[in-house]
Amino acid sequence: MSNQLSNVAAVVGIGHTDWRKDYAAHRAGEAGKLDSIGLASLAFTRALKDAGISRDEVDGLIVGPTTPYERMGEVLGIDARWGGQADAMLAVMQATMAIHAGLAEVVALVYGNNQRTGKTNYGGANAAGGASFLSYVYHAPWGFTSQGALYALMFQRYMEETGLTSTQLGEVAVAQRLAASLNPEAVMQKRITVEDYLASDFVCEPLHLFDYCLVNDGGVALIIMSAERARKLRPDPVMIHGVGRYDLNRGATSLEPRLTEYYLPAQQKVAAQVFDMAGVGPEDISSAQIYDSFSCHIPLALEGYGYCAPGEAGRFMQDGNIKLGGRLPVNTSGGHLSESYMQGWGHQIEAVRQIRGTCGERQVENCRFVHYSSDVAGKAVSIIYGR
Amino acid sequence: MGKSQPVMSIDDRIMWDGIEHGELKLQSCSHCRTLRYPPGPICAECLSMESNWVPVAGTGTILSWVTFHKRYFDDFPPPYNSVAVRLDEGPIIMSNLVGDEPEGSWIGKRVRLEFVDHDGRRQHAVRIDRAG
Repeated sequence: MSNQLSNVAAVVGIGHTDWRKDYAAHRAGEAGKLDSIGLASLAFTRALKDAGISRDEVDGLIVGPTTPYERMGEVLGIDARWGGQADAMLAVMQATMAIHAGLAEVVALVYGNNQRTGKTNYGGANAAGGASFLSYVYHAPWGFTSQGALYALMFQRYMEETGLTSTQLGEVAVAQRLAASLNPEAVMQKRITVEDYLASDFVCEPLHLFDYCLVNDGGVALIIMSAERARKLRPDPVMIHGVGRYDLNRGATSLEPRLTEYYLPAQQKVAAQVFDMAGVGPEDISSAQIYDSFSCHIPLALEGYGYCAPGEAGRFMQDGNIKLGGRLPVNTSGGHLSESYMQGWGHQIEAVRQIRGTCGERQVENCRFVHYSSDVAGKAVSIIYGR
Repeated sequence: MGKSQPVMSIDDRIMWDGIEHGELKLQSCSHCRTLRYPPGPICAECLSMESNWVPVAGTGTILSWVTFHKRYFDDFPPPYNSVAVRLDEGPIIMSNLVGDEPEGSWIGKRVRLEFVDHDGRRQHAVRIDRAG
């Protein structure tokens, strides 16, 4: 398989907004001071400062799906020789591809989302994402709506088939909250127990409130640069060692790949590609950052990428492997469940911070490689970051 | 909040016309006979664009189910269920289980399709099939 995208690009700058402070202000009844474009702008200025470069060095721009590309470039004063719009995972892949192709050398990736103050609905009559994923809206006549319900339906069957218990699933929310309690930036820092988890309300049964991501405002930005230039810029550039993607589109709306195979074939195909490209295996990974709109993404990814055998994730989690200090600390910032729901963008910068070794109390020791994984409606993506 | 609405593409319209008359028909590829759900313009197996509509027997098996405890639609006060059913013809549909609910797991239970009035439209629901 191709390894041409390995070590051609590196992250040299990261930035994000004050989501903890903004969340508290919103809870106190204050109006949001920044819209999605403003949040992305603030994150961008911080990423630029972290990289120690000037705005005029940026020659490529990728904008997240929640802000318009042209306006974003206009407010930031960026005329780009290459640009695009993408979600977090594809933004990193596309920046890497553009740098490899020589279409850009310094790419800014910016994302802003005022989903809480802007009252975005992820289910119901105007469910966000319905224009992209038919399964989000097609079954509404039977009251079936929201990405959470899709995962609840999938996981109900998975639990019966594998014997994974609610108590074992609760390990995800508990472990991520523990990590968040050591992250001064996390929105939710109060530790919880498995008993708290089991006592929390159901949203869409079998999933509890603590299985669901937060909904909060925020912005994230990254500066990605050619590896050669990055090594001259700073001593600790974080290299992109591998990328991979596989999409299960067939039967997507009738939920066939969700309900019969739990997206496992897509993750296994991506695993082969991304580990081969990076020249490492699951045993070399120090920490995993897994897209967690819902807790059940974690056991599915653990199995899909070979951290444990299919059907073994419940036991793997119960044995403490995903906690800080365990074999594979997962979502060490608190992730979407406890740090901030930045639709995968926050996971990229946590991977960078762990590799840099700047995570303070939640730092994973000797962090060499971090594996980012997501599956959103059967679109499996992976990125491996490292020194 | 708002009410639930069916997605109504050109191809969906024919299916919903059937449902209005108390019959679920699925689109069948005229070339390779593959059934498709949701309806669409082309066969994902053989890429033929010719199709016809065939009625289903109305029996199937529950693949999975959920219970909603949060309100998402004006016309669905919680708690309510949604079920994924694999029709005996092959495709998976979402519906609601009406009547008696099984004790314990619903997965693998045999169901039979029926038609109900829901807030001004006719649609399908499923009921546990005692005979099955």
